Amino acid sequence: MPIISVVLHNVWKKKARSLGLALAIAFAVMTVVTLSVVGDGLEQSATAILKVGKANFTIVQKGVPDILNSTIDQGTLTRIRETPGVASAVGVLVETEKINAANPVFIEVGISPSDLKPFGVTVVAGHPYSADATNQMMLGWRAAQHFGIHVGDKFKANGTVNTVVGIFSTGNSFGDDASMFPLPALQGYNRVPGIVTMVFVKTVPGVPVSSVTRRISRNLPELSTITTASQFGRADLTLVFVKAAATGSAILAVVIGAIIVGNTMLLSLFERTREFGLLRAIGWTKTQVLSLVMGEGLVLALVGAGVGVGLSFAAAVALEHVPALIGVLHAHFTTSAFWRGLLTALVMTLLGTFYPALRAALRSPLDALGHE
Amino acid sequence: MNGPGAASVASEPIIEVVDVVKVYRDGNIRALDGVSLTVARSEFVSITGPSGCGKSTLLNLLAALDQPTSGVVKVNGRDLRQVKDLSRYRREEVGLVFQLHNLLPQLSALANIEIAMPHSRGRSQSRAERARDLLAEMGLASAERRVPAQLSGGERQRVAIARALANDPGILLADEPTGSLDSASVDNFLQLLRRLRAEHGTTIVMVTHDNEVAAAADRTIEMSDGRVVMAHVS
Ligand SMILES: Nc1ncnc2c1ncn2[C@@H]1O[C@H](COP(=O)(O)OP(=O)(O)O)[C@@H](O)[C@H]1O
Ligand SMILES: [Mg+2]
Repeated sequence: MPIISVVLHNVWKKKARSLGLALAIAFAVMTVVTLSVVGDGLEQSATAILKVGKANFTIVQKGVPDILNSTIDQGTLTRIRETPGVASAVGVLVETEKINAANPVFIEVGISPSDLKPFGVTVVAGHPYSADATNQMMLGWRAAQHFGIHVGDKFKANGTVNTVVGIFSTGNSFGDDASMFPLPALQGYNRVPGIVTMVFVKTVPGVPVSSVTRRISRNLPELSTITTASQFGRADLTLVFVKAAATGSAILAVVIGAIIVGNTMLLSLFERTREFGLLRAIGWTKTQVLSLVMGEGLVLALVGAGVGVGLSFAAAVALEHVPALIGVLHAHFTTSAFWRGLLTALVMTLLGTFYPALRAALRSPLDALGHE
Repeated sequence: MNGPGAASVASEPIIEVVDVVKVYRDGNIRALDGVSLTVARSEFVSITGPSGCGKSTLLNLLAALDQPTSGVVKVNGRDLRQVKDLSRYRREEVGLVFQLHNLLPQLSALANIEIAMPHSRGRSQSRAERARDLLAEMGLASAERRVPAQLSGGERQRVAIARALANDPGILLADEPTGSLDSASVDNFLQLLRRLRAEHGTTIVMVTHDNEVAAAADRTIEMSDGRVVMAHVS
């Protein structure tokens, strides 16, 4: 009889034990996958703004806890524009506002109408606001759809009732969920005159991006230049902490899970000592006994991974609806989350099962059979 | 060297034990104190004697479950110390039946036989067929789906024999196989052993402390205090 059918048989026949182990594995998988899905979601939300602009790189203030706390003044923006190799530099102010309970973190971008085009924004309905207007705005098409707003409708935000003069598209769901205001109007309401949050830079064609970022880092050491989303993750301390906490909890979950699996395995294998002695006595090799026990662990790992990934998706969807996280967290279910879950289950089971399995395999058959 | 399948004359011993001593590591217990004996091919031998005289110790040496402290155990013409793959020896050259706990409780009678063929070549279907044939030969054709708890003591021992014969070994080693059976089952079981020997030429070495059971064999070897004290033909 192939060992795999003995494996399946044993797992099936010892349902209570199997269920307990699979649940322990599932729980750890759920923890790891949920944390990574949430972490990814936060990073996606945070980095999405980078992808709005069609820039070669982005500049923010160095060492800020949250990227939205970055402040860059007019003089610095001018120096960036004057740096050799810079073709254009668009400064934008990013603020968030609570519109109502269902929309607690509505994104508002302050940007000059002349910068819309270099920034990669297309006005799909109506027209852009004028540069110095104080009660005009544009909505991203997804936001417009969400709020049921058309060109010409009123929208209360930025401390006043605005006329929505245009609907824009950025080709990016984060941007399309946001709104845009004339830069001075948004700076005025938020009391940060002349300040922008980040600067999107386009380089002169033919000039290597890295030479430009190096020059800016040298001349303006208070700034961070970001060319990739992962660099952004490093520039944003909150995100760094969130990811570190997630990694720490995930490791803890795997270790605790492995201990539970190992402990349960040891106990149950101890009860089955005679069984392994018998198998060795009738000619099973050590490797075959090892495979049997590891195989049982593997089957439980697969079941646990499946259940755990399912639970974590449910948990992440539930977290998306926690009021404090609405609009911030977009749970990001990827195949990589699934693989991470599977890997977690496998590593945990391997850690928890190998030693008990080895003990079962290496014990002398006579000893295991018990002297009768 | 003769393999199990090699042609050999009937008088040639299939088992040869020469001056075997077994001292258990953890003390001064001399479980076997210079045992010598031979068993011919297709012979049915019983080993008898009081509890603690070394019968199981001897059988475990034959099964390669343990090694002698000194002396030689030869099976199928080979000194067991020279056998490299002991798992294979246990799987293919001998079949083992114990008094109790022969079967895995969670597996059906059929599966309990199939586990003796963990890496038999061939498809699982032919393994199942082989297991079914053996069950039928033991008169248990209708019991293949039952787990050990649903079998009587006698039925369990017959499944154990079927399992021991799965890889067609030349030798059946049984340690108190009737120890937990009622007298009707004992008769039935001994009859089965005799039939196996007659029909397949299986060499049988059966350990028992029961003289009546021992009498079913062609020859009885009596032990006492780790030595052979008497051998007689029934
Ligand atoms: N693993 C062991 N360790 C120590 N002593 C043992 C061990 N196995 C058997 N013995 C001792 O060896 C002697 C022979 O035992 P055994 O072969 O089981 O006898 P029998 O099967 O004839 O009852 C007994 O005194 C027994 O206590
Ligand atoms: Mg005994």
